[in-house]
This record gives sequence, structure tokens and C-alpha cells, in this order.
Amino acid sequence: MADAHAVETVDLHKRYEGGSDALRGLTLHVPAGSIFGFLGRNGAGKTTTIKILLGMVRPSAGRATVFGLAADDPAASVEIRRRTAFVSDEKDLYGGMTVAEMIRFTAGFFPRWRDDLEQRYLRTFELPPDRKVKALSRGMRTKLALLLSLSRGAELLVLDEPTAGLDPAMTEEVLQALVGHAAREGMTIFFSSHQIAEVEQIADAVAIIDRGRTVVSGALDDLRENFRRVQLVFDGEAPAAAFEAPGITRVRRSGRVLTVLSTAGAEPILDRARALHAVSMDVVPVTLKEIFLESVTMEE
Amino acid sequence: MLWYKSWRDTRWRFFVALGVLTLSGTGVVLIYPRVLALVPLVPSSDAGGELGQRIREIAQLSREFRGYIWAQWFRQNVRQEWTVVSALLGTGGLVAQGSTGALFTLSLPVSRNQLVAVRAAAGLAELLIVALTVALLLPIVAPVVGQRYAVTDAVAHALCMFAAGAVFFSLACLLSTSFDDPWRPLLIAVLAAAVLGACETVFRGLQPYSVFAVMSGDVYFRTGHLPWIGILASAGVSAALLFVATVNLARRDF
Amino acid sequence: MLLRPNPASGVPIYLQLMEQVKHAIETGALRAGEQLPGIRPLAEELVINANTVAKAYRELEHEGVIELRHGAGAFVSANSRPKKATEKLRAGQTVVSDAVRKLRERGVTDDEIRRLFEAELAGVVKTGEPRG
Repeated sequence: MADAHAVETVDLHKRYEGGSDALRGLTLHVPAGSIFGFLGRNGAGKTTTIKILLGMVRPSAGRATVFGLAADDPAASVEIRRRTAFVSDEKDLYGGMTVAEMIRFTAGFFPRWRDDLEQRYLRTFELPPDRKVKALSRGMRTKLALLLSLSRGAELLVLDEPTAGLDPAMTEEVLQALVGHAAREGMTIFFSSHQIAEVEQIADAVAIIDRGRTVVSGALDDLRENFRRVQLVFDGEAPAAAFEAPGITRVRRSGRVLTVLSTAGAEPILDRARALHAVSMDVVPVTLKEIFLESVTMEE
Repeated sequence: MLWYKSWRDTRWRFFVALGVLTLSGTGVVLIYPRVLALVPLVPSSDAGGELGQRIREIAQLSREFRGYIWAQWFRQNVRQEWTVVSALLGTGGLVAQGSTGALFTLSLPVSRNQLVAVRAAAGLAELLIVALTVALLLPIVAPVVGQRYAVTDAVAHALCMFAAGAVFFSLACLLSTSFDDPWRPLLIAVLAAAVLGACETVFRGLQPYSVFAVMSGDVYFRTGHLPWIGILASAGVSAALLFVATVNLARRDF
Repeated sequence: MLLRPNPASGVPIYLQLMEQVKHAIETGALRAGEQLPGIRPLAEELVINANTVAKAYRELEHEGVIELRHGAGAFVSANSRPKKATEKLRAGQTVVSDAVRKLRERGVTDDEIRRLFEAELAGVVKTGEPRG
């Protein structure tokens, strides 16, 4: 195995003409063979990151590599795209072609095209071969885009909001196809999403980005086991001095109440709190949704 | 694969161009008898100035079918219609026009240079086919009005048209790497042609060197020799424009 | 047979799966020596990550609940350790329902009860006792 990481970015920056900073030092490591969820608010930089990985956008600074190849080198980028499949959030395809034509067209670019997978997904997705792409519903277009991605024998699948705009039944179909395919073919899946529930359901690891930077990342099970919210109540005003303990990511003060978010379990917080004579200490596990909301809102 | 996409993107324009020019050319041939009938009516010694001189010249040339075709078709109609057709065939690159699969195309394992190269090559092939077809219909339709037109003349003029048209084609290609909509490249290219034409009218000394002189095959008509310098210069300009197009596309963010 | 785990419950999915397998053994839905569903088919059926299923199976093997036979699949253990685990849980259940009843009698709400348990468990980590 050449690389432990299918995708890596190191301190990635992107400033668009006109001055907006889409990425401000984004660092990511996606382990090969994992299902990796990429979460962030609208405008946090998810799509920009994905486009950089695929050579559609050039970074202003920093490094991005896929399979160890530099994403901003034009020749290396072609090689990356030979081994990567991409589904954009708009499910961008050629409106004027029929389903069958799109399949034949795409297959022509990939010598390792898998006819068996093409047949399987044509069947399970129930795609009508003679219908024009522009006449397909959003869900059908998503499935076609998936078929085109999964049949090409790629090692990495990059998806930008794959289930956006889909009803729950179709969402489940898409997730099932992804999970099944990843298990069978051992491919890495990197997908951005707003749907926290689906990320929690199928991802091995996640990264949460906010305003162009990674704020949380790691294996999902680790995050679930280590993220804790501790609410401390003090007799007088909550301590003004910086509340420090290992693993703290957020501290919020509101009068006598201090709310602390920790990535290293509650125990260090409780130690500190006892030393400061906290009157009451509450510990709760944190769901991914709460981790997300806590990580992307302002610190007071 | 990309060739196929390029063809699909431009085929309607191709057929429309072919149709319009065929009709236009056929029309010019078919009204020859009427023109011939009018020629004696043009007074031979009339001091009508610039315009009068022009009319007398055309009348003079029209006594002969070959001259008529050159004066009316190649120097006049073609100059206007062919410029637009060339730009039309060059507009709209493989990743232009926003949402019709641009990101999908860009996610395929092809380099940006390939995208311009294939689009240009496919488009130029279409341009050549239209030029040849439209030129060759002259020897075919001429007998209908009892005239003859040499195939060698037709092919030579087609070559001149192609070389000159390639300039506007390449300009439209280049503009399409910056603008995603199909209209601006076309309009700007046509505008550029109009400006060139205006310069020519004002600075008459430039006329022999203009791209329109190559387009109408002036030198060939008068001397029977192809305007190699003009053709090579046009080819050079086209190549330069296409090179800039590849550079432009390579540095663009999508 | 196995139900979809709830990803948003705060309990890791692999733990939920482990609980389900143990419950299935307890209730007789799965018997000693019987084969469990394969990792990949199960992942696809439940629409969860195959690694999660693999982790659950590994932990169950570690606890002696199941056996992983290389190449053949996962099978319910023949020995009686699962029963011991179940009995341990049953006894634990009694303790918990007792405590909850007493707390409720004192007017402690369910949410507060939950928080008390969490805080206590966080404290257990400190003393180094293994969880689970």
C-alpha cells in the first residue's frame, strides 16, 4: 500500500479573485479505505476543497495530495482523475444525452470500466436507458451519477452533498449503494454533507470545517467516546480566568454557569471544576450534531 | 469520446451554417441571368464617384460568370456571412455554458489542453467541410443557369475561406474560454470583424493585407496563384489565438 | 432480525449492535453454534459502515460471545459465558431500577437521573476500572 492516506491537505489556502478567503489553512487526512464525512456550514469551504482535489481550482497556498500525487500539478491531476470518481452537488451531467449514451461516453475514458457493476446498478437503480438526462428527476440523476462513478473502477469516490434534495427512501438507497460498494471494493469514500444523521450512520471518520479551517477531525467512534459537554455552576460569577484543562475546545460563560466542551472526556474538567469549587457538575455525551453546532458557532 | 461531445455540441450550428450558406450561394448563382440582363443598362461613362465606380466595376466583372461569382459571392456575401459562421462554429468550448456538464467534463481524466485541442480540431474540421461544400456547389449549380465554374477555382477559394475563417473561429474559441455564455464570444468576434472592416474602409492602403482579402481570394482571382503569405499569416494568427486559449483555460478556476 | 441502529442516540453504533446480538442470543433468536450474518451483507442491509460491523464482531469475540472462524464467518459461541454476561446484566438491571425508583420518589426527574449516571460514569473512568 503506497499511502496510508488517500487524501491529504496541509495548510491549504484559497483566495478567490475579488478577495474572498475560501480556505484559510485547511488540514485533512483521509485514511485509505475509509468512509470519510466532511461537514461544514454553507460557505465553509467544502466545495472549494473538493474542487482543489480534482484540479478544478488551484490553491493559493499549501499542499493537497491524492494518492500521494500533487493535486495542483496538471499532469498529476489527470492521473488522479483516472483513479477518482466525482459526483458534484448539482449532479452535473450532459442534458442532451440519454442514460445509455452517457454510460457509453463515460466508459470510453476508463479502460478498467466494470461492466458487471454497470449492469448491477442499472438494475438496482432502475434507470431507463433511453431517457434523456434532462428529463430525469433529481433522484434519478443522482443515481445515474453514482452509476457512472461506481462502475469506473475508481479507488476514491468524492461526493459533494450526495443526498441533497432526495426523499428519505432514495437517500437510503444511495447510502446503501455507497456502503455496499465500499465494503466490496475497498474504495475510499470522501463526501461532504449537511445531513449529519447520514454521516453518523455510515462514516468511519469525519472532519468538521468552519470558515476555511478544520475545527474537529478524527474517527467517529473516538469522537463519540471522548466528546463530552460539562456544565458547571458556581456560587458567584463563573471564573473569569481562562478555564484550562487538556482537551477543551469551547468554553462559554453565562453568569454563574460555565459550559465546557471537551474532546478528552470529562474527567480533567471535573478535576479542575472541583478545585474551583463548582457547586454542580453535569456531564452529557455529545451527538455529532451537537459537536457540529458547538464547533461552528462563535465562542463568547 | 471528446470528439463525439464536441460534435454533439456543435452539430445544429453546423447544419444551420451549411443550410444558410447553401441557400445563399445557390441564390447568387440562380439570379445570374437577371444580372446579366441588367449589365448593358449600366452606363459605361458615368462620373458617379466612389459608388458609381464600384457599380461599374461589378457590372464589368459580371459579363463573365467567374468574375460575377467572385465580385458578388466571394467578395461581398461571403465576407459577411462567412465571418459570422466561422465565429459561430468556434463559440462554446467543452466546458463553457455553465451547467451543461462542465464539472463532469472537468472530472474526466483529460487535460485542459486536450479540451481546447479537441474542440478546436473538431470545429476546424467542420469549418473546412462547410467551406468545401459551399464552394463545390458552385460548379454543381452553375449548369442550371447555363454556366460553368471550375472545380479548381472552387477548391482554391474554399481554402482561402477556410484560412481566413479560422482566424475568427479561433478568436471565438479564445473568448469562449473566458466567457461561459454562448452570446458574448460570438458578438465580440463579430464586433471585431466589423471594426477590422471599418479600418479597412478608412485606411484603403491596408486592404491587400487584410484577412478579408484572403477570405475573398482576391489574389487568386486576379493571378491564379494562391495567396500563400496571406494563408500562412492567417494560420499563424489562428494558432496564436488558440495557444492563448489553452493558456487561458489552464489557469482558470471553475 | 437485527434492527437498524440509531446513529443519533449518542451510543456508538458498534455498541448498539453488540447489545442486539447479545439480546438475540438471550432470547433464543440466535443459538449456540449458529452463524451470524456476514460483515459485508449485514453492513449493506443495515446501511452502516462495514468497519463498524467488524468492530462489533471483534468486541463480541473478545468477550467470548461469538467466535470468528477465518474464512468461514462468525458463529455464536458454544460455551456459557454469554449466559454469565446476561445474568450480570440482569442483576445490574435490578440495581438500576431500584435506584431509579428511589430517585424518582425523591422527585428527581428522568433527565436529572440520566445526568447523575453520566457524571458517575465519568468518575469511574478516573479510577481506571475498565468500562463495559
